[in-house]
Amino acid sequence: MVRASLSRALLSDYFILGLAGVYLLGMAPAVPGLLSPLNLANLAEIALPLMVLAMGQTLVLMTGGIDLSTTSNVALCSVIGGMIMSGADEVLAGSALAMPVGVLAMLATGALVGLINGLSVARGGIPAFMVTLIGMLLLSGLAVRLTRSLPISDLPDAFVAISGTAGVALAVVLPVLVVGHLVLSRTVAGAWLQSVGQNAAAARVVGIPVERTVMLAYVACGVCSALAAILLTARLESASPVLGQRMLLDIVAASIIGGTSLFGGRGTIRGAAFGAILVCVVTNSLDLVGLTFAVVMLSKGAVILAAAALDAFRSRLLAKAEGSA
Amino acid sequence: MTLRSFLSTAVLSAGALFMFSGCSPKSDQPTVGVCFETLQTEYWAESFDALRTELESHGFAVIEAISDGDANRQLSQIKNFLVRGVDGIIVAPKDRQSIVPAIKAANDAGVPIVCYNRPPAEGDHQTVTVVADNFALARDTVAYLVEQARQKGGKYRAAILIGDLGDENAVNRREGFNAALAGTEDFIEVVARIPTEWNQEKARAGLVNALQTHPDINFIFTSSDFLLPSISSALQAQNKWHPHGHADHVLLGGLDGDATAYQLILEGYMDATGVQDLYFEAEQSVQALLKLQREEPVEARILDPGFVIHRDNHEEMAGRTWGARVFARNQAQ
Repeated sequence: MVRASLSRALLSDYFILGLAGVYLLGMAPAVPGLLSPLNLANLAEIALPLMVLAMGQTLVLMTGGIDLSTTSNVALCSVIGGMIMSGADEVLAGSALAMPVGVLAMLATGALVGLINGLSVARGGIPAFMVTLIGMLLLSGLAVRLTRSLPISDLPDAFVAISGTAGVALAVVLPVLVVGHLVLSRTVAGAWLQSVGQNAAAARVVGIPVERTVMLAYVACGVCSALAAILLTARLESASPVLGQRMLLDIVAASIIGGTSLFGGRGTIRGAAFGAILVCVVTNSLDLVGLTFAVVMLSKGAVILAAAALDAFRSRLLAKAEGSA
Repeated sequence: MTLRSFLSTAVLSAGALFMFSGCSPKSDQPTVGVCFETLQTEYWAESFDALRTELESHGFAVIEAISDGDANRQLSQIKNFLVRGVDGIIVAPKDRQSIVPAIKAANDAGVPIVCYNRPPAEGDHQTVTVVADNFALARDTVAYLVEQARQKGGKYRAAILIGDLGDENAVNRREGFNAALAGTEDFIEVVARIPTEWNQEKARAGLVNALQTHPDINFIFTSSDFLLPSISSALQAQNKWHPHGHADHVLLGGLDGDATAYQLILEGYMDATGVQDLYFEAEQSVQALLKLQREEPVEARILDPGFVIHRDNHEEMAGRTWGARVFARNQAQ
């Protein structure tokens, strides 16, 4: 009975959120300020971009692919937006149009990169790992080339304010997550995505437009990268060609912790968002404790490894549950 | 993995984290957060240790944070310091722009903040920067090389390895190099300006390419000593790695004053390096922090004049060169 309840809890998306909550409450007595309003605001600031990125990665992972270029896409979108919006002799310096045009350009850049990735994978038949690994190099190189490695500052106040309070950023991210969740769980497109990831050949036989579905997943991932670039660029008040460079492991970890299968066909936006929260809570608490860099890296690695083990265990439970149904 | 073994692992991990958390400083001890972009070169690692020693000698507990080259993470870490209620912050910024929101956050919280070695972008934020006089150090180091070249005679073809131009220090070092070479065009021609973005692989690849295009390069200045292994590797591949006195010796200068540079000066492969006096910088950073805490006036920028160590003065200057201390420590181990 207890075993069955635990199994049900493990299979639920909310298990990860519960784990994050238990972890927070458990660590609170030992970590000064962990539950303070200031720290919870900090947590929201770092978790929101990761939630969006994990959502995009989840959509691609569900097709059986992976997007390794997502962090370079973040950097490129940041640089493109910065070049348009900066008041320091850039394209629309000082103009009221600077912010809307800059934001639109960032979203368009992200979508375009996603489209190129999607076309290469779906139509070109090139493995996603190769396409996006090469994309990572090309986009990074382009971002560095455009800026000659220099960060871009003097962004419009209205743009910087996006990340000024967690409330504004939340108002940007929450609708995107809700729409993503509804599309994936309640629409035909979501069902197609799942089918394509589980068995592309079978999906094709039953008339699902496999290529188009895969392409759309990469485009959505690209748009998510752009959205994260907007949040991160506003937070740092500057655009950078190396923005988000170190986030890839956190993004993939958040998706997998959230129950997305590396083999495709399984995943939820809710789970990915909860996975991102857990990753951020662990990172934040380790930083607050003031551990040495080496111990932080070791501890974080151990948590991610434990999450991967949990994923394997959940997969086995799920297979058993499906077998007995 | 069974459910029981998974739960056991989870409980053990939580216990381990709890034990680690016991390492935090006592609540009644004043605390300073020290946040570095990286510890991946000798200079940063030795600076971090010097700051810790200096802070502890003034009775501070130290909380450390390393951003691993990630500006977003650095901002989070500094906000974490503020959550912890630290009494001061010393930060080696990732870059001059992205550190600004962190300084503003510290200002808003009324916590004094000192920038170590990298100045932030200008603005209405309040901070003190302790930084080496990179322009003068590079200029004086290259001037020594120029003097050696003049004494030896002949024509020289020069290369400079330039750092990340988003880093004001790299720009000042390049300008110092240019200033020292002004007026020497009759016998020194700069044939290669190699961008490295503070990356060893890029430095090596760039220098190898330059040496293939200009095999007669015989004068090299590196904007940081941590690139010396890349330079020695590239020169050895071209059979151009010879000590002072050899007919094909390449005049070699650098900046930082690390243990590799000191050893190469002893062995004669390197001619000079500009030494950042990191013990002075650490002391000045802590002094600035103390003054800010007492609300005493303090200059916005404190310059470390540093000095040049070269073949002719290394015995005299070794005691003040941090790289010589590291070298001696390494030899003793």
